[in-house]
Amino acid sequence: MSKPTAIFSAIGLIAGSLATAGAEEPIRSFKSFAEPFLVEYCFDCHDASTEKGGVSLEELTDISPDNAVLWKSVWEQVALGEMPPRDKKNQPEKMDRFWLSQWITGGLEQALADEGGFYTHLHPSKANHLDHDLLFGEIEGEFKPASTPARIWRIHPQEHLVRLNELIDKEPEYDPENPGLRARGDFIPWNTLGEVRVYFGLDRITGWVGGSAAYTAAITGFPPILTTANDHGLRNYAMQYSVNGAEATQISQNAEDILVFMAHGPKGEPYQFVDDPKKVKRPAEYDGLDIRGTIQSLVYSPDPERPLTPVYELLKEPGVTDERIQAAVDFLFEALTFRPPTKKEAKTYVRMVQEAIADLGEEEGAILGLSSIFLDREALFRTELVEYGTPDEHDRVMLQDWELALAVNGAFSYLPPNSELRQAVLDGRMKTREDVEREVARIIEDPSIRKPRVLQFFREYFDYDRAGRICKDTAALKNAAGGNDTRRYTEAMYAATQSTDRLIELILEEDRDVLSELLTTDRVVYDRRNDTLYYSTHENLKNPKPKPHPDKRNKKIEPTPEEKGHTILPDGERVKVRVPALRYYSGNSDRVLTTAPKAERMGILTHPAWLVSHTDAMDNHAIHRGKWVRERLLGGAVPDVPITVDAQLPDEPGTTLRHRMRVTAEEYCWSCHDKMDPLGLPFEMYNHIGLYRTTEYGEPVDTSGEIIDSGDPSIDGPVTDALDLIRKLAESERVEQVFVRHAFRYWMGRNETLNDALILQEAWRAYRDSGGSMNALITSLVTSDAFLYRQVKPKRKDIASE
Amino acid sequence: MTMINRRTLLRGMAASAGAAIGSSLLPEFARAATVTRGAPKRVIFFLQNQGFDPATAIPAGLAESCSLSGVTLPEPVNPLEPIKDMLHIVNGLHGQHTSPSHSAYFGALGGYRGGIGIPARGATIDHVISEELPDTILPHLCIGMDSLENMQSRPTLATLSATGPGQPMFMHSNPNDLYELLFGGLSTGDVKRRYEARSKVYNKIEKLAGVAGRGLPEGDRERYGSYVDGFRDINGLRDRLAGVTDHLKNFAPAYDEGYTNPEFETDWHDRLLDIGLASLKSGITNTLTIGSGRGEIFGAWKGLGVVEQGHNLGHMPQPENDIWIKIRQYNCRMLVKMVRELESMPEGAGSMMDNTVIVYTSNNADKQHTSGTNWPFILIGNGGSPFKTGQFTQMEDKRPINAMYSTLLHAAGAPQDRFNMDEKTAATHDTKVGPIEELLA
Repeated sequence: MSKPTAIFSAIGLIAGSLATAGAEEPIRSFKSFAEPFLVEYCFDCHDASTEKGGVSLEELTDISPDNAVLWKSVWEQVALGEMPPRDKKNQPEKMDRFWLSQWITGGLEQALADEGGFYTHLHPSKANHLDHDLLFGEIEGEFKPASTPARIWRIHPQEHLVRLNELIDKEPEYDPENPGLRARGDFIPWNTLGEVRVYFGLDRITGWVGGSAAYTAAITGFPPILTTANDHGLRNYAMQYSVNGAEATQISQNAEDILVFMAHGPKGEPYQFVDDPKKVKRPAEYDGLDIRGTIQSLVYSPDPERPLTPVYELLKEPGVTDERIQAAVDFLFEALTFRPPTKKEAKTYVRMVQEAIADLGEEEGAILGLSSIFLDREALFRTELVEYGTPDEHDRVMLQDWELALAVNGAFSYLPPNSELRQAVLDGRMKTREDVEREVARIIEDPSIRKPRVLQFFREYFDYDRAGRICKDTAALKNAAGGNDTRRYTEAMYAATQSTDRLIELILEEDRDVLSELLTTDRVVYDRRNDTLYYSTHENLKNPKPKPHPDKRNKKIEPTPEEKGHTILPDGERVKVRVPALRYYSGNSDRVLTTAPKAERMGILTHPAWLVSHTDAMDNHAIHRGKWVRERLLGGAVPDVPITVDAQLPDEPGTTLRHRMRVTAEEYCWSCHDKMDPLGLPFEMYNHIGLYRTTEYGEPVDTSGEIIDSGDPSIDGPVTDALDLIRKLAESERVEQVFVRHAFRYWMGRNETLNDALILQEAWRAYRDSGGSMNALITSLVTSDAFLYRQVKPKRKDIASE
Repeated sequence: MTMINRRTLLRGMAASAGAAIGSSLLPEFARAATVTRGAPKRVIFFLQNQGFDPATAIPAGLAESCSLSGVTLPEPVNPLEPIKDMLHIVNGLHGQHTSPSHSAYFGALGGYRGGIGIPARGATIDHVISEELPDTILPHLCIGMDSLENMQSRPTLATLSATGPGQPMFMHSNPNDLYELLFGGLSTGDVKRRYEARSKVYNKIEKLAGVAGRGLPEGDRERYGSYVDGFRDINGLRDRLAGVTDHLKNFAPAYDEGYTNPEFETDWHDRLLDIGLASLKSGITNTLTIGSGRGEIFGAWKGLGVVEQGHNLGHMPQPENDIWIKIRQYNCRMLVKMVRELESMPEGAGSMMDNTVIVYTSNNADKQHTSGTNWPFILIGNGGSPFKTGQFTQMEDKRPINAMYSTLLHAAGAPQDRFNMDEKTAATHDTKVGPIEELLA
């Protein structure tokens, strides 16, 4: 990095909207820059006469839709240091690689603008294409200070669901005695079948007819409406999502149901609302009828427990007034957008309600008119547009007032800003970095302010929340000792995710050496009734038959976990995990905090939730596991699978995964697979449902692996098994830095650029100097320029607020 | 190319017809246009997920192209026996370039590389062909069939069809929502008043959303645009449907318990098919895409007595497999139902089916874990006579699925040498240019 001006102009290229004013940026063209690079470093092997691997770059010209695929491939190979091959002496400088990457991605953006655009480099999976050493190495030269483009950011589907749930359900307040139990503001947990739903009037149901299945069928609810990618890794960048027409239609339909419920409570006939569910008297017309599973089968408390709001006031008696309409609009707007409406906004919606009432009458008109607020832009997107304020010399404007408050609030919470934060905005005390520091400290210190966004980061970073979604092949499940009951197995996997959630929260409460602790702790959150199998050793399992029942001839006594050879972990502190409020399928919230055998497990990468999340229907997925370690811990990346590759392992039943993976060791495959396979194969010490094992197909299981070219030479070298691998990784400074990079991405909602280098370094220092405090890390990120400043178009003058 | 294609011609006709009879395009128009012979007037794409094993459709021992008469269809597709003379079974196309293992997603109908989370690289054939067919109120309808839980929790999903690069089209999977969307205007009295008031509110929301998008940064404007466009589409469709309510009345399926209280997912699958068929018969659409399993690796058919669901289904070999016989036969019964119902609709001198072609295949070639070296298809109907029927064709040339799609476009009067494939890619993947001659009459 000997040329500061070079860095400076590189910054301009990083993101179009971040282009610097006044930077002296040399125009880099194909002729002046890219072609000489190719000639110097690539043509030895890839000109028209050599064409190694069938690839010739000699005919490459300026970037166009026709050659975009080849250029994209060049970008990945060069950015990741794959090409020129590592054994070639003539290697470009890291900054030259960076330069070419910027030139290519910028060129692809332009060339493909009319063909669906080029966004690949902005995707979280490509963030590691920016060399780690450039970000954490010595920074020379002038940097344009960091900022994030002004933008709108669609809210997370869970946040949206929580907003809607707040309108219809009264959730329990935080209980300091049982901090793991679900409280108001927590995310909506899935049930044991993996379904996420909110229900109308759940808090008010006191009885029903029939069993719990009938109860579940009788109550009405809805699932998340907005969607995110169902994929590994960070899933909610600002650039990734909009709200499509189909989603908007569903929101609008749900809005009317919600409003009717807000106004009138649960649908039901008068006899269903009684103090004592046993004293319910159904009219004669129901005599002899089976009403199980119908809404008529439910009994409600007459006490209107749902949140009573101005929407209830609006419709509780005939004769709506303008004042009541105004109050309902004001209330609903703030409940859905988290800020009060401006006068103009309020006027618009009041008029819509009035007009709808004129068309349809009071009841239906009010409902329809108010439903439009659910589709307001800010009920679906968080805006960070800095529409007023004074740009600094780099065309950056700091977020302020509501935008700032909502950004800070949204970094932790799915609920609206609480009264202190709200008041701070109204008093004009949400404008400066100090204001942010004050509010962040207050939010972090208050455990009753639930912080689902923080837990969500760990879910997306570790990818441990996918275990229940991996649908196992029945025979493969049985072979792995998972039994015949796929449903029971799936339930156990969703429960395993809840346990890992809780363990992470417990470690976050301690807030010391968070990453290292997560990677190496011997503690597990454990369900003593259902988890014994999954912490067992495969070879120790026995298969005793059920014994006849001494009294009942038709009944049998199932063998105990001990009789089945399960490993029973020691008793421990009682803890609770989050389960849905719906009783049926909600699962068990009781767990213990205990320890697993040190020789078998170490940290959450060895817990069933993580292990199974990285398997497929038939077996372990050593490649995914290795890829995870390479990307999330080592900060490396693997280029997309080339189009010419048939990425299949041979189907050879009765052979080990390691044996089948021999095909990836062929020269052509190995250049990528050496980054993944040796990091994933040490986890072969567990079978594909997470059981510890010492043998496979009668032979001792081979758990060897290797850390190759990690970027931290101190940890490179062979490893004996997953525990050895994890121990080494947990000690690496680089691993800690890569963790910080991921936290940056998650909280900024975008990939880091070289402009962010200082912020990343500071965040890492904050984490390290505080003894590994996640709170210190988040505070550092959320008070950084990248979080606080938005880039606007050059030369915008001061614009005052309303 | 300077020639006036059918589309331009029909557009012109549409405009004048619209002017003559009122503000909206009447479905009758689509029927009137069928006077021209020799091209399909409607196309149905039916994609079953988890692969289409050729052994489940091609009688054992049949290795060379031949007529299907006298041939007995294998058990999984034997419900097609009565319409055997309308079939063209095509074996030996490939989709190696589409990365079809598990699913090629948009690549299955796009003929390009797809994969989970990969945005569409271009318009898919179903959309392109819908643009070539006579204009209708709803140019292209996509429905997706899945497990009940999935259809309820994600009633819309886009994995198969796209209108252009990065422009996915959503499949409708909740028949209640789709019913209201298409037939909500049919009602009278209060319900109708409500429908109209709602249209008014939607129009206002569209306006508000439009205003809110004006000051956005460039990248966001595009993303936000799809939000505003969503309203525009809904509102436009509502307006157009409102203009033809009397006509629609004759076709709307009965709204029964199967919609509101389904026992199995197949109750919804059947209702979705009914709505799709009603849309075709009423002429409000002429392109229907059906994603059975919604282009993913899941899906459930408990209503057929298939207890296994989701990914497991893909791991079992299909030939002689009871589960796959059930699923394939269910597909075939749906296909026959579509044929029979379209046959019952007069059109020109014959029936709607005379001007229809159904394209049945999978979104991941021949099996779940596939490299796409074989991608079987069944075409049903002669699509207004360009297609050969009653035929089995074993491809002798190396031709990609893109060639199948060029053939469809050729038949629709919009010939293209290649569909979504540049010459460089074609050099390794296609030994010929233009439509597949073996398929054309």
